[in-house]
Amino acid sequence: MTIADRLSFLWPEIILFGATCGVMMLGLSKHRSTRKLCAPVSGIALIAAGVAAWLTTPGPDTVTAQTGQLLFPGLALYGKGMIAVVGVLMLLLVAGTVDRADEEHIAARRARFNPLSSNRAEFYSFFLFSLTGLMLCAGADDLIWLFLALELTSLPTYIMVTMSGASAGSWMAWRNKSQEAGVKYFFLGALGAAVFLYGFALIYGGTGSTNLNEISDHIAHQGLNSLTMTGLLLALAGLGFKVAAVPMHFYTADVYEGAAAPVSAFLAFTPKTAGFLGIILLCGCMGWNYPPHGLAEAPSAAGLWSPDPAGNSLPEPIRLMLWVIAALTMTVGNVLAILQNSIKRLLAYSSIAHSGYMLVGVMVGPGAADGPFGKNGVAAVLFYLFCYGVMNLGAFAVVAVLERTPGRLADAQPGEVHEIESIDELRGLCRTRPLLGWVMAICSLSLLGLPPLVGFFAKAPLFTSAISAGEITLVVVLGINSAIAAYYYLRLVRCVMLEDPDPASPPTNESPFGSRRLAGVLSAAGVLVLAVGGNAVMRTAHHAAAYRAADATDARHADLHRPDPSPGQARAATDAP
Amino acid sequence: MTSAWLMMTSSALLAQTGAPAAMAGPTLAHYLFVSAAMFALGLIGFLTRRNLIIMFLSTELMFQAAGIALIAFSRFHLNHTGETFVIFVLTIAAAEAAMALALVVLLFRRRESLDAQQWDEMSG
Repeated sequence: MTIADRLSFLWPEIILFGATCGVMMLGLSKHRSTRKLCAPVSGIALIAAGVAAWLTTPGPDTVTAQTGQLLFPGLALYGKGMIAVVGVLMLLLVAGTVDRADEEHIAARRARFNPLSSNRAEFYSFFLFSLTGLMLCAGADDLIWLFLALELTSLPTYIMVTMSGASAGSWMAWRNKSQEAGVKYFFLGALGAAVFLYGFALIYGGTGSTNLNEISDHIAHQGLNSLTMTGLLLALAGLGFKVAAVPMHFYTADVYEGAAAPVSAFLAFTPKTAGFLGIILLCGCMGWNYPPHGLAEAPSAAGLWSPDPAGNSLPEPIRLMLWVIAALTMTVGNVLAILQNSIKRLLAYSSIAHSGYMLVGVMVGPGAADGPFGKNGVAAVLFYLFCYGVMNLGAFAVVAVLERTPGRLADAQPGEVHEIESIDELRGLCRTRPLLGWVMAICSLSLLGLPPLVGFFAKAPLFTSAISAGEITLVVVLGINSAIAAYYYLRLVRCVMLEDPDPASPPTNESPFGSRRLAGVLSAAGVLVLAVGGNAVMRTAHHAAAYRAADATDARHADLHRPDPSPGQARAATDAP
Repeated sequence: MTSAWLMMTSSALLAQTGAPAAMAGPTLAHYLFVSAAMFALGLIGFLTRRNLIIMFLSTELMFQAAGIALIAFSRFHLNHTGETFVIFVLTIAAAEAAMALALVVLLFRRRESLDAQQWDEMSG
């Protein structure tokens, strides 16, 4: 395979990267109308990247030399499409986050445009950089590639968090909170990166290759030696930072609270998706075909965990770690969410809890080769990521639209924006601002997983796949946690729908950016539309979860959902040494 | 002491010529021990020190620990993948260093202190 073949699968990323460079220039223009092009250009690039993914990224049914090399042949297509769609929604939401005060001053002729202090260009280009990294994660076939993609996803987000408090215009007026959040996020992110990097190094040491496909073959033929096992454990723990799994979750609430609401919404989707894509790829390397936990023997004399064609579970140490992390993540996230009074902290802890739900699906794995969607945990996670991205965005959009009226605040600087903080400020929202109220109600009911909404259709496969894999205890934990979650989501719904507006809370007005409202409405509409027409997405997710299980017996090569295997398509099955 | 070091370096040079070194030289285990020790020191430093620059240096130590392990494995497996990986790791580490210094300068301008504990406006 030549480098040109390889590059032709990166059209979406190439388009996004080109747009990133363009946006960086546009935002520095002296003319306001040119500067305003940043957001539209980013949007067009995201849509173009989505279309390019559709046209050029091979799906699972078109197995080529390239896709034969991928562990999950359909993952790139699904991931890139999902990222483009959610990316457009997020772009609508981030409008005006960093440059509002500057632009207001310039419009009022109080200041002139100063390219040195303007950070609009950087903000949009970092936004696109991060999404480029996320798309690269979806198509990763090598540990080096995966590492670079994960870092490309996270490095820009650190700066975005720090910049997001800059709406007040001058440097000195930046809110302390966003800087504190940025530093905290950066340091813990760097720690997480170092941990999974060390894990990657040990995986390379144990298998002699960084290519995921070769690692998978090596493990299938020679078993997991203890070096690889240590590496995988470390790598998964490091990726736990990205998805905010529980022992590694400490930064989450502070960072989401400190960053501006649109950036928090971005953080809830982007690093989390990157982390889950990485976790799925690593688990795909070892395969979900080890003896089930009840029958797990001690590793053989050579210290090997060997795959077993009859098995349907991850190797015992990994399974145990994911089990404990999943149960802890859900429980801690939900219990701490109950105690919160700040709306952004509540959404942060709820995002931790959702990571816990998704870890269940990863642990369960894709199930039997031709199993239905309901038994495929990986497909459930991929579908959940998409639904979570959409419904969570709606909730954050409401927070991003509402802001405290500046005139009444003691220390108000001109152009300074104060977001709403406590849940009480949402009271009676359905009466005062019906549109926002309903968006909030629909999205939080969907996050709760109430049946007619998409949250239910996303969560149900997690339950069914875990049951079919025999993880009954974990299913019980999942069920109890859904009940705990009902407490605080229903509290949110009651606040916006049933209660009277709180006369004591500071008066609020709506953000002047119509696109934020549009993002909220589109997310709520997406929640309803996906509930009715989510089948197509589910089907794509199901295809994306089909993985090329490298098995010594070749028995499971039929895993790919191929309509009829022709000689060219059977290549993937025969390239194992 | 000196002779032991000389022996180690000379057999390391010998090992470069292709023949697998005997037990005398530094083996993979030696390199892995150094790298694991660096990783552990970095982790401990990160968790116990409160100065932001020291904390950043600790994460850097962990990155370089991974680099040493990668190069040692690369020699062990006799392929160049690990060395390639290290080049990329260095790039990322440089990017992170730039970012860390920018953040540290930003914070120092506001507080005149680099103590991580002064930055606890939000309750964890």
